[in-house]
Amino acid sequence: MSRKMRIALPVITLTLLCGASPYVLLAAEATPAQVSETQKKEAPPPAPAPEKTSEQDMERQKVFDAKTKTLPNGMQVVVVENTRTPVVTHMVWYKTGAADETPGVSGIAHFLEHLMFKGSEGLAPGDFSKKIRSLGGNDNAFTSHDYTAYYQSVGAEHLETVMHMEAGRMRGLKPPSEEVISERQVILEERSQRTDNNPDAKLGESISAALFVNHPYGKPIIGWEHEMAALTWNDAKSFYDRWYGPNNAILVVAGDVKADDVFRLAQDIYGPLKPITLPKRERTISPPLAGRQTIVYHDATVREPQFQRAYRVPSYRQNAAESLALQVLEDIAGNGPTSRFYKSLVIDKKLATNAGLAYGVNAYDDADLYIYLTPAPGKNMKQIEDAVDAEIAKIADKGITEKELSDSLTRLQAEAVYARDSLSGPAMTIGYSLATGAMLDDIEYWPYNIAQVTADQIKEAAAKFLLPASPDAHFVNGYLLPAKPEPATEKQPPKKDETKTNPASPATPEKQP
Amino acid sequence: MRTLTAYRFIFIFLAFSLLASPAAHARETVLDIQEVTSEGGIKAWLVEDHSVPVIAIEFAFVGAGAARDPAEKQGLSRMLSNTMDEGAGDLTSEKFQKELRDLSISLSFSSSRDSFNGSLKTLATNKKRAFELMTLALTAPRFDAEPLERMRAANQSRIRSSLSDPEWIAARILNDRAYAGHPYALNSGGTLGGLEKITAADLKTFHKNNLARGNLKISICGDITEMELKGLLDQIFGKLPEKPAAQPEAKKLDLQNMGTVALYKKDIPQTIVEIMQPGIDKTHPDYHAAQIMNQILGSSGFGSRLTEEIREKRGLTYGIYTYFSNLDDINTLALSTSTGNENVTQMMDLIRTEWTKMKEAPPSTQELADAKSYLIGALPLSLTSTDKIASLLTGLQTDDLPIDYLEKRDAAIRAATPEDILRVSKELLNADKFTTVLVGNPEGVTPHAKIEKIPNVE
Repeated sequence: MSRKMRIALPVITLTLLCGASPYVLLAAEATPAQVSETQKKEAPPPAPAPEKTSEQDMERQKVFDAKTKTLPNGMQVVVVENTRTPVVTHMVWYKTGAADETPGVSGIAHFLEHLMFKGSEGLAPGDFSKKIRSLGGNDNAFTSHDYTAYYQSVGAEHLETVMHMEAGRMRGLKPPSEEVISERQVILEERSQRTDNNPDAKLGESISAALFVNHPYGKPIIGWEHEMAALTWNDAKSFYDRWYGPNNAILVVAGDVKADDVFRLAQDIYGPLKPITLPKRERTISPPLAGRQTIVYHDATVREPQFQRAYRVPSYRQNAAESLALQVLEDIAGNGPTSRFYKSLVIDKKLATNAGLAYGVNAYDDADLYIYLTPAPGKNMKQIEDAVDAEIAKIADKGITEKELSDSLTRLQAEAVYARDSLSGPAMTIGYSLATGAMLDDIEYWPYNIAQVTADQIKEAAAKFLLPASPDAHFVNGYLLPAKPEPATEKQPPKKDETKTNPASPATPEKQP
Repeated sequence: MRTLTAYRFIFIFLAFSLLASPAAHARETVLDIQEVTSEGGIKAWLVEDHSVPVIAIEFAFVGAGAARDPAEKQGLSRMLSNTMDEGAGDLTSEKFQKELRDLSISLSFSSSRDSFNGSLKTLATNKKRAFELMTLALTAPRFDAEPLERMRAANQSRIRSSLSDPEWIAARILNDRAYAGHPYALNSGGTLGGLEKITAADLKTFHKNNLARGNLKISICGDITEMELKGLLDQIFGKLPEKPAAQPEAKKLDLQNMGTVALYKKDIPQTIVEIMQPGIDKTHPDYHAAQIMNQILGSSGFGSRLTEEIREKRGLTYGIYTYFSNLDDINTLALSTSTGNENVTQMMDLIRTEWTKMKEAPPSTQELADAKSYLIGALPLSLTSTDKIASLLTGLQTDDLPIDYLEKRDAAIRAATPEDILRVSKELLNADKFTTVLVGNPEGVTPHAKIEKIPNVE
């Protein structure tokens, strides 16, 4: 059933990941939709002080039972043993991404990610992936605002080889200049394919820019086209030198391995790399958003309008308790055909053909929370927006029932069991959680922590962060609409709440009175 | 949406190419498949795996896919797949879905061109009820008016949304042209008008006529024993009719519109390029050699000749890949890519050049060794969750492959010589037989056909 609910998620996915190659990521385990499912679900919360009754010890069983160790040079190593199949997933996560770029070089974190395949110690340009293929493995990389990750899935016997290869490109990268030029064309084509060919992606870019005003999350990970076209190796190198070092990296290995063997190999191979002087990870802060802002984007190719509302809400790192409450709220309000939004707006009121809510919990700074609906034929955006407001008000005023809460908590516990039925899934969850400021125990004890959420906390979270009238609710509405019909008379004044219809230019936000 | 569609497409292709290709790895310790037969004579393939308390069942009704949809009611099998889990027995849609969700059971149906498929994943602790709900959905779906209307509206909405996705449009037009005159040319996701006409009676008839024990292939993986499974098979599938009402007649199809380029003009910066040419049957003695050729030519992404020449050297695209498609009535080799409007003619020339190179000389020893090593080594990478394993088993069964197939493929891949690859390339690759579809605003292209209206959508 959940397949019916995912229509709007790619908009969010788009802001999360830009891979070096469009296909290889999927050869491992997760489709982007699954990635964003995982991201919103398996978020990490902090463990309250443990009490030593045997019952609670059971509840506090670890999800993955991962082993961790930090090398003397500052590199954290995490191992999830899984003997099901004789394969291993090896991932290196750098705690840096597009939000750490300096102004004017948007897209450089992602461009660097591509250039990491263009020649490194003992490997000619392009040979990294070829070598992995020849080992019978897959590899790829992806960039988000907060992290950049490189991974290989191979037979367990090849772990040492891929470690050497990955360690070899952590320092001293130097791609030939002609490779840099052609790869810049590749990322521009990637941008066309992801964004410029697609009206929903163009609207998504404008929504993020408006929501995260004055914060680097407002820039697209792939970059603005005019800045991408001017990116150079020097830009990439200064980002690389600034952020890529063992003390800013997390190694996650999952598969048919023994933790002690991995720690030993990691010490031998990554251990000799010297730590770098890391800059402080400080970003500018978004101011409060005044009133209701709406971006209206008309595009001649659109046949089916879409409604989105994007909020800025606390991430797990910023406020664990509020984040946990929002995770349960997401499940109750917006996840699946029996959720509140779907039930009320699609089944009962028949205002929409699809409806949901998705919380992007794993952000270093502010997280986003999307409400998305596809209006039913004949329904206008005003009706949709009023109905969304009413659903939020219901939760903010009356809260949720104890039954809704306990049902949800049972489901969320089950997710932790399903999460173990995967190889790269646990590695992904651990990687992005740690890279955005969580501790390993936050992930391991997530089922226990999520079970501590109360109905009151959920009500408070809705009232504080989602209710439009709240001073802490910061949001932007996005309307994706077909081309405007030609005005009947020439003298029709432009409406204040609408932007130009030219499909070639992205929408820009304007305030509604 | 576009991203999901595109990625899904690629994902399906990958999953498919793993199933279909000699990627199949054969270490017995990796996948110990048992054939289980119930007292009632129902057969299933089982991989017992108690590492996680999860059970996955995947099954397919062969010959019961979208190719059986009537032309005036395209999307019928898709609608059946959307409504079978929307209420069954005494349970309304709301109660049925609530119970699935509360017990964290995922139960879903889907339809491909050639088969109708079902999929269940449950925690072992909830298995009893999961199996009951699946039995109900399979044998006593209600097709109530409310969910029927809702699914109709959701499908129509999906189609309208897809109309702003150039990759979807290209795929739609390619199906229309490559399979012209055959049911495969129709829109398996339905048309706006055809969906409008579908009634509960249509769903019941399709269900009754096509879902039977006689055309059923079942696969199970996870925390379950052979003994338990035996009883379960009769419980879940025993009530289905013995045979489908009518076996689909084979309508073998030759690729259509070969040697033509069709253009759907769209004001976007990049042109989507979709190409199809005749392919090769899985039972053909050269099938494994053809898979190796495909790996070298374009299926591997990084490292393939097409990626090397077109992306790595020239930066003309973000992705270019080739893949075999094996439908019941036609086998094809397809290529998908996209490039800036100004580069389309260059791209087309480069593709033809690679086709020619592949036919003129055998691959290097290194290329051959790398391709074999990948195809043999990559299979275990896909055996990391219960549902993936079950799904692999279903792929083997619907292709009528033997239970020890994975092991045999290993040997067949190893045996291929550079001369085999050259011979297969010469026989198979033919750029004059390209059926090409472009969506975008390409410069310097004179198409054989200008597509004004996207077929089978309205």
